[in-house]
Amino acid sequence: MIRKYIALLRMKYIEMLAYRLATFVWMTGAITQPLITMFVWMNIHPEESESFLFYFMAVIFVERMTSAWDVWELDREIREGTFSNLLLRPVHPIHWAIAENIVYKWLFAVILAPVWLVGAVFWPPLRPHMTAGQAVLFLAAVVLGAALRFLLSYSCGLLAFWVTKVAAVYGVIDVISLFLSGRIAPLEMLPPALREWSEWLPFRYMISFPIEIATGAADGGELARGFAVAAGWMAVFVAGVQWLWKAGMRKNQAVGG
Amino acid sequence: MRRYGRVFREFFRACLVEELEYRSEFFGNFIASFFGLGIALLTIHIFFYQTDRLGGWTYGEVLVLLGVFNTLRGWIDFALRPNMPRLLEHVRRGTLDYILTKPVDSMFYVSFRHLVFWRLIDVALGLGVIGYGLYVERYVPSAADVLMFFVVMTASLLLIYSLWMMLMTTSFWVVRIDDLSFIFDSFFDTARFPGSMYRGAVRFVITYVLPAVLITNTPALALLGKWSMAAVLAALAVAMLFLWVARRFWRFALRFYTGAGG
Amino acid sequence: MIRVSHLHKSFRVHRRDAGWLEAVRHLWRRDYRVIEAVKDVSFTIEKGEIVGFLGPNGAGKTTTMKMLAGLLHPTSGEITVGGFVPFEQKREFKKMMSLVMGQKSQLIWDIPPMETFLVNKAIYDIDDRSFRQTLEELTELLDLAPLLDKPTRSLSLGQRMRCELAAALLHRPHVLFLDEPTIGLDVHTQENVRRFIVDYNREHETTILLTSHYMGDVAALCDRVMIINYGRLIYDGDLSVLTEKLAPYKRLEVRFSRLPNVDWSEYGEVAEIEEGTIVLRVARETAAETAARLLERFDVRDINIEDPPLEEVIARAFWEEHV
Repeated sequence: MIRKYIALLRMKYIEMLAYRLATFVWMTGAITQPLITMFVWMNIHPEESESFLFYFMAVIFVERMTSAWDVWELDREIREGTFSNLLLRPVHPIHWAIAENIVYKWLFAVILAPVWLVGAVFWPPLRPHMTAGQAVLFLAAVVLGAALRFLLSYSCGLLAFWVTKVAAVYGVIDVISLFLSGRIAPLEMLPPALREWSEWLPFRYMISFPIEIATGAADGGELARGFAVAAGWMAVFVAGVQWLWKAGMRKNQAVGG
Repeated sequence: MRRYGRVFREFFRACLVEELEYRSEFFGNFIASFFGLGIALLTIHIFFYQTDRLGGWTYGEVLVLLGVFNTLRGWIDFALRPNMPRLLEHVRRGTLDYILTKPVDSMFYVSFRHLVFWRLIDVALGLGVIGYGLYVERYVPSAADVLMFFVVMTASLLLIYSLWMMLMTTSFWVVRIDDLSFIFDSFFDTARFPGSMYRGAVRFVITYVLPAVLITNTPALALLGKWSMAAVLAALAVAMLFLWVARRFWRFALRFYTGAGG
Repeated sequence: MIRVSHLHKSFRVHRRDAGWLEAVRHLWRRDYRVIEAVKDVSFTIEKGEIVGFLGPNGAGKTTTMKMLAGLLHPTSGEITVGGFVPFEQKREFKKMMSLVMGQKSQLIWDIPPMETFLVNKAIYDIDDRSFRQTLEELTELLDLAPLLDKPTRSLSLGQRMRCELAAALLHRPHVLFLDEPTIGLDVHTQENVRRFIVDYNREHETTILLTSHYMGDVAALCDRVMIINYGRLIYDGDLSVLTEKLAPYKRLEVRFSRLPNVDWSEYGEVAEIEEGTIVLRVARETAAETAARLLERFDVRDINIEDPPLEEVIARAFWEEHV
């Protein structure tokens, strides 16, 4: 299995290199939105500007490290029939998606980590103040967040077996995620009602939770509870993907690609 | 000029018929527009939960700005965005030749051939939000305000068209990027909010280097009675300038494409 | 190797009429009709055979092939390929078979074919030595050496097809399904591909099932053909037998210095008349004799006796319900 992954990773890496320019263009979009939001908050609470600077830099980083576009890939592959190609091989198609995700997250890390580092040299507010333990937990939370977002994206992609406008469905979910994951506002700035929702829905654990660990906002009991809820959602999503896959295969084999 | 009016009407009619074929989509699109606007309003609400001024603008004023933004974006999605990927395809496949041999100005054709009607809902909703913002603000625009608003909106539309056209024209060279409109979206996104919100070096960039904020802020300010003749004339002048540049650029690209001269 | 018995496949297609009202009605009540794509098809293919699968568009060829590859679940009936039941999609099944679709490529677009080969090597668990051997063999047979390191998108259609075949054969499948493999290729490449398939089959005894619109493919590769029409198998047997049954005639192409004014029905059925040339359809048994008579009686510049073109034979089959 390891050998297969190495082969897939290598292939996805080379493929990614062919799309360097396009990837760069996509990244600019992922950066401008959080930056604009940051300026809004800096205007609302100028006294907290420094913590906003750190927060939104972290949002950019964590968002990229957890980003998943499998919903569009799957939608296209199923619609165009190229998904059959993957089904003919003795490897589950999800591994191709996982390999692609790993390659791109590696790319984003390689680009963003130095940027953050250099930024931290010039602007002290950007410096993280984490203990080694916190750093480890932060990384664990990021990985968990990436897995959650991937599974959600893949599940929605599998809906393409039944629904034609899967992108629209995911669009709605993504918009909800904007609010409840902390991308529009740090969660503590949200009206209480929304904050309640964010505790129990999976979106917080995709972006905000790792950042809360990094800023020290979440510790002790809060930390444990956070991981527990995230793990719970993980189990739900894994079961969801498995169920959708089986149902999708049945549908696909009845109607054909 | 009248001829182009007729041609545009034909595009309008053809695309409308095409879209009415997919009547079931219409409903879904309607909902999508409402949803999109609802989210934007919710976002503003969240911001104003914590404050009552954004860059010096009040809640009502920011609503007017949002309305202007939505309206302009509706126009972009109605006329400009649908044509971008098509131009890319034409260039890639070489089918641009068909267009060049038609007795219509190619830049006009390439910009307006495909229109997405349901996006006009965004325009309508945007105007609605402008109205709502004025209501919240308890401000009734004077006749001069409205006139200036239209003038400046026209300037903004022309400016957007020019910028968009220039971006489209780059597809002659940058054939590998699937979605150039992404660049414009990122740029235009900065225009959601008042320019006065930004500070320091960023404010400088936003105002003089990538002045997207002027595109939305100026019309909003005009309608709110905060216009100056100088600003209005400047807006018009800038729009005209960019239109001219866009046209030159298009001509240049065509010469490149057809292999004629330098 | 391949056993198919009483295979049925029907699809439920949602029927929707145009119009506003219909669209709304469609939301809560679904009308559908049943399309029977494959009806009671049975056949057996032994190891090492190359069988052609012919039929007009929509006849059920691709549907049958997809069921054999495991992509579609039959409505009823049994299929075994190499002892496996295809739609169970077992890993071992996938490792012993390969499907090449003329219009859908498995090569990754932006990177060289070699990279796709390496991925296949890993996915199919091919060990280093077998991989090297197979790659060498395929590179030589298909003349791939200059192509392997160029991105797939920069290759011509013919070059891509050759790489596609190589990618499909790296794991030495026992069964190869080819769906329109030579579509869109120039004549030269078509011949190369055909020659390759024949040589490969002879060398490795791979069982090959191929669908094609090109009679050249069929004539060059298949001793046995199956004809499917309206979902039913209407013929399964030798190509030569088919020709005899359906088109028991020969084509006599005769060129005169000046076309004589004569009642040609005395000699045969007129297929074509052109300036100075006439093509007659003559019963096989009497073809030679008729030719001799023509040569004797008229001033003949040139004469040609041919088998009917395969297109005609097959086209006639499509008109039949049963051959």
